[in-house]
Amino acid sequence: MKARFCRIPGLIAYDQAFSVQQQLHAARVADEIPDTLLLLQHPPVITLGRRGRREHLLVEASRLEAGGIQVVQASRGGDVTYHGPGQWVLYPILKLSRNELGTHGYLHALEEIAIRCAADAGFDAFRREGKAGAWCEQGKFAAIGFQFKRWVSLHGMSLNVHPNLSHFDFINGCGLVGEAVCSFRSVLEEACPEMEEVAQALQGHCEQVLARELELMSPKQLPGL
Amino acid sequence: MQVPEQFRYTESHEWCQVNGNTVRVGITEFAQSQLADLTFVDLPESGASFEAGDEAAVLESVKAAADVYAPVAGKVTALNEALEDSPELINSDPFGEGWLFELEMADASELDKLLDAAAYTAHMPQD
Repeated sequence: MKARFCRIPGLIAYDQAFSVQQQLHAARVADEIPDTLLLLQHPPVITLGRRGRREHLLVEASRLEAGGIQVVQASRGGDVTYHGPGQWVLYPILKLSRNELGTHGYLHALEEIAIRCAADAGFDAFRREGKAGAWCEQGKFAAIGFQFKRWVSLHGMSLNVHPNLSHFDFINGCGLVGEAVCSFRSVLEEACPEMEEVAQALQGHCEQVLARELELMSPKQLPGL
Repeated sequence: MQVPEQFRYTESHEWCQVNGNTVRVGITEFAQSQLADLTFVDLPESGASFEAGDEAAVLESVKAAADVYAPVAGKVTALNEALEDSPELINSDPFGEGWLFELEMADASELDKLLDAAAYTAHMPQD
């Protein structure tokens, strides 16, 4: 199965990226386009999932916004999370097929992509029962939250390469209290790969794990960008 | 993957069990398997009216959210209140105890537009 993979350079505002996702989603539901994966970085933003509880926001939203960190309500599942520069955000707009079934399905696939990226970079990562995402000894480095509308996916996964980890202090990430957040840089220090290198790895693992042949797509072809 | 013969289906993976002028609605085994362990169910209001294809409920698992659509037009006459405390019933018994709501149909002829078990099985994506 063929799919398109589009890397958007620079920092894309959360709302703008969501609008692109929604337009791709509508086109995918209508079978006007093939599956499409977006890879991008956001400026600093804290997003609350549908069940996102304000109590997991540890600083008032007004103070965060004054400090340049936007707070937005998202339609994905899951609780609160942070996005910012130095973190790859993967938004697969996929129509799921039967070979993605199984008890773990799509969540498992996204975790697998993150775990394989960590292995490429040179550290061990794993799943934790009941705590979705990808983890290593230091803590969680990939957060997952998605939505199915008409059985086409929206939202996805964020992977911490070298974001400002102090920004995670403003939240109880994913509503988990007392769980550490880490990044490729905090684990690997000087051996941390460049964003570019991780993007290449991510693309390769998406291709394998999601079992889709990826064709590169220019961001100029995206609607609303 | 189970697809009971006696139900009608939508392309968006809802099932309907017809009983006179009402239909009981739930999601299929395919749908529940993609969502994994459900943690919350947002059911419609009792008495709410829907057109076929309207968003009627939202299901959430630890990391996912998914809409459920009304398979036919109608008015909500019953809700599966057990789901409030036990949303996991949808995972363990999607075609039985995990039903979501019942609709009094506005137009029973809409049932003809739904898929039968064989058509639904054929519709399920398979690569």
